[in-house]
Amino acid sequence: MIWENIKIALTSMVHNKLRTLLSLLGIIIGVASVVAILNLGQSVTESITESMNVGGIDMVNIFPTGSSRELNVFDESFGDTLMANVDGIDAVLPTASSSSRVRSGQDILAVTINGVTSDFFDVNNAELLYGDYFTALDNINRRQVVVLGKDVADELFPVGNAVGSYVSIFRQSSKRYLVVGVLDEKEATLGNSFDSTIFMPLNTYDQRFRKVATMSSYTCKVAEGYDAITVGDNIEDYLTELIGSDYFTVFSAASIVEMASEVTNTFSSFLAAIAAISLLVGGIGIMNIMLVSVAERTREIGIRKALGASPHVIMLQFLIEALTLTVIGGLIGILIGSLISFAIVNLVGWKLYFSYAAIVISLGFSMFVGVFFGWYPAAKASRLDPIESLSYE
Amino acid sequence: MSENVIELVNVRRYYIVGDFCVKALDGVSCSIRKGSFTAIMGPSGSGKSTMMNLIGCLDTPTSGFIKIGGEYTNNLNEKELADIRNRRVGFVFQQFNLLGKQNALENVMTPLLYAGVSGRERRERAEALLERVGLKDRMKHLPSELSGGQKQRVAIARALVNNPDILLADEPTGALDSKTGDQIMELFQDINDEGRTVVFVTHDRGLGMRCKDQIYIHDGKIVEGY
Repeated sequence: MIWENIKIALTSMVHNKLRTLLSLLGIIIGVASVVAILNLGQSVTESITESMNVGGIDMVNIFPTGSSRELNVFDESFGDTLMANVDGIDAVLPTASSSSRVRSGQDILAVTINGVTSDFFDVNNAELLYGDYFTALDNINRRQVVVLGKDVADELFPVGNAVGSYVSIFRQSSKRYLVVGVLDEKEATLGNSFDSTIFMPLNTYDQRFRKVATMSSYTCKVAEGYDAITVGDNIEDYLTELIGSDYFTVFSAASIVEMASEVTNTFSSFLAAIAAISLLVGGIGIMNIMLVSVAERTREIGIRKALGASPHVIMLQFLIEALTLTVIGGLIGILIGSLISFAIVNLVGWKLYFSYAAIVISLGFSMFVGVFFGWYPAAKASRLDPIESLSYE
Repeated sequence: MSENVIELVNVRRYYIVGDFCVKALDGVSCSIRKGSFTAIMGPSGSGKSTMMNLIGCLDTPTSGFIKIGGEYTNNLNEKELADIRNRRVGFVFQQFNLLGKQNALENVMTPLLYAGVSGRERRERAEALLERVGLKDRMKHLPSELSGGQKQRVAIARALVNNPDILLADEPTGALDSKTGDQIMELFQDINDEGRTVVFVTHDRGLGMRCKDQIYIHDGKIVEGY
């Protein structure tokens, strides 16, 4: 019976193509905008997550702030203290950072100089293009060696391999450093940028470049099985107890991703809710066409009743017809919405992530609209008097 | 004497139209035997169509009792009345009343759909009846592609498909030319010969006299001859 009713509905739609399309317009626009908005929201969230994932979703960064005696805890051995007191940290990488100018031949470049320990590259998954990382021994011996970020190397050594060459880094006076390695291109993480940075051993930085009073930042690698957000919270708690909350900031990519996805979710839900209003308005279109359809088919209803259709059966027929209409409108809307989001995502250069929830929600909502706005016309049809209907012209 | 398939006991049907009370049927009592071929005759406005609508359970009386196939219809709800229309009665109308967007076969299958018969059986029974009324090669045609006589044959097949006790025909030849009308009349006679009760509403004296029994209605009452 349901299939027969769907067939009747489809026949009637085909017979009145333009009218059907016009009355479905509201539903189509509503569903298309809900789907497009939710798809875009999902794509934004996923793009943010993905960019954070490249390096750093399992990292927590600590930035000492201000200047105070309290900041004295942020020395090179702070990492060991931290790891002893907070669970779930695999490694703590201290970084001392400042900006300076560097020269090779005639080229002078403004760069960031980072003093790091030798495990920095490994923990950060920074791949080499040429040469090698500096070693723990280089650090202990404060050797004047550096690893160049990709952009720095390209600027200073446009041709050939930089490894084995010297660069001069300015402080009070300029000192020469041997380039031992060049990093491959790597996207910046929350705590560290790579491509426009020169890395030197932390001890070298302290002794030969610039005295380190407190570290600029620490990057903590969260152990497997631990949640970066929780570990970040624990670090914050520990530090607050140790020195008060004024002298540091704890950041994790995970918490930023979470925040970003909360923001986009709220925002896209809000927009989707507005778009859903047009779905409701579309429902009025459905009600309208169903009322017209019931009026037009009064005689048919009379015939069906004479043939033994109960009011319930007639009601069902028109409800199914309304449902068929809205589901088809919903499907067209989903298609259009997906195409729109696909087009926008391509234009902006994100990657498209389908929000399956959006499809389920909007289809469900348009079915609800079909039943809700189809109810009255269907009930009206079911109550028609068979004799009057049969004599209806 | 065979049993009565239709019984009316003091049936009244009044309509309120504005300030007037129209007494379409005013105390009609009669019975129709199983297997009979009965004409309900009377001039237009006499109440014969009202009587047919009441027998067919399309309408309910203002007072009085109606028994269809031994079943009182007074206290039945809409669903139960629909069920009687579906199982016990087959309607044939003057204006054919076929479903315009469905082909002959689908039209004939429709009562079986409401009876809950499976798809395959629906098709088989509908095909058999269309063949019986001589429309084997017109099954897939829409009503608009059929002649008047063919439409009425489809309607008759549809009325018979759920094997009802009674075939109710309201001026079934009224919209047909006399030759086609005769053929339809013959079909009714054949159907009656097979043992089916046929009730035939007409204002045409000649047609009415071709039936085995006649009931005359005038001004809402049964009269003896007219």
